[in-house]
Amino acid sequence: MELIIGLAVVALIAVFFISQYNRLIRLNITVDEAWAQIEVQLKRRADLIPNLVETVKGYAKHEQSTFDAVVTARAKATTATTVADTAAADGMLTQALRGLLAVAEAYPDLKASANFMSLQEELATTENKVAFSRQFYNDNVRSLNTAVKTIPSSFFAGFAKVTEREFYEVEDPQDRNVPNVSFN
Amino acid sequence: MQAANRRKTIGLLMGMGVLMWLVVYAALTYFGGSGAGIVPIAVGISLISVWGSYYGSDKLVLTMTGAKLIQESDNPKLFDLIQEITIASGLPMPKVAVVIDDAPNAFATGRNPEHALIAFTTGILDVMDRDQLQGVIAHELAHVANRDTLVSAVAATTAGAIAIVSDILARMMFFGGRRDRDSQANPIALLISLVVLILAPLAAVMLKSAISRKRESLADATAVSFTRNPAGLRSALEVLAADSTVVQQRSTAVAHIWIESPLDAKSVSKMFSTHPPIQERIAVLKSMEQLGN
Repeated sequence: MELIIGLAVVALIAVFFISQYNRLIRLNITVDEAWAQIEVQLKRRADLIPNLVETVKGYAKHEQSTFDAVVTARAKATTATTVADTAAADGMLTQALRGLLAVAEAYPDLKASANFMSLQEELATTENKVAFSRQFYNDNVRSLNTAVKTIPSSFFAGFAKVTEREFYEVEDPQDRNVPNVSFN
Repeated sequence: MQAANRRKTIGLLMGMGVLMWLVVYAALTYFGGSGAGIVPIAVGISLISVWGSYYGSDKLVLTMTGAKLIQESDNPKLFDLIQEITIASGLPMPKVAVVIDDAPNAFATGRNPEHALIAFTTGILDVMDRDQLQGVIAHELAHVANRDTLVSAVAATTAGAIAIVSDILARMMFFGGRRDRDSQANPIALLISLVVLILAPLAAVMLKSAISRKRESLADATAVSFTRNPAGLRSALEVLAADSTVVQQRSTAVAHIWIESPLDAKSVSKMFSTHPPIQERIAVLKSMEQLGN
């Protein structure tokens, strides 16, 4: 009898250890996947830009400074590797693209062209996808960091080689406000 | 909001369990030992019928609603919008279907996120703008994320089992009556158990509807956590509220899966409706918008 109780206790402790360890590993993998998703969407946006710039150039030749800003920001965005650098370049590019679209407003022929309209739609959905992938990444980083810092999962963080991760913070005053939803 | 709705769902499912237990207890009081054998049979029958529809829900609902699966090339804009929400929620890409019907409506089904299906009527795709459609998609994928097909299957199984038990017992009463007539059972207890057996199926249907309503409110809240934009879903619901057309097929069997109930809300009392009143949902989303500003 004592033996069975002893074994049961050991088994319960083992299950607890394994579930804590696996939870941390799972959270860490989700953050990696969320990061990969951001990179996919940023790449998608970077691929759209040359085409967009060429299209706008066709109608608005004298806006060289705007084009330069977009091209520089794109170059920065495609070479960045760390979370902070990527986020900074992402913010700059978002800003530069907004400038480009503002320029387009002044050219009715450009705005009416089918090519520009389809590029604009594609850019809009890509911007949304970038924003949502950021949001998903940050939500998961928050869960991971909470797990790494709170008891009991914090005891297993070192063993699982899981550490706190960096948030993806874009400096953009015009960024959509996150509504403060109260859960009660 | 989300946590409260989840707690209420668990409470209601537990209520179902208690009701089931009450029925069993009443059956035992009324019929003695012979009533006990019915319960596993009833649960079995109900489990088989509901499990079948749960497991094949994506295919079954396609046939029941006449929805047609579409590919990305058929409607790239719709697929873009859906991809946006799958990125926001971390869910896999669902199958997408269209129902040819002018009434604006949409639904989601599937036994797990990997087998999810979301469908839209041609009406909803025509009348809604980008933000509204995004809200609707988020609401449907929220059902997928919250595993509402499973929740409603569990609710339907218990309600079905309770209905079968009381049906069989009603027949036994009619044909044989109580077997142990000479026992010293308390007549008040007998009367109570009789009332329980008669009222239980009604209570089960009411509980099932209450669960469905809670899951709708939960899906609205989860949708906002995906899009962080309550205004989109709110204005989509306003479009649905203003529209008086209803989906042609009005099968009650699939009424609960649409974003707006296809059954005429006025003819059914609130206790039995599968959706919370749409004005109430709009008011909740409006209060979320105010919190955001």
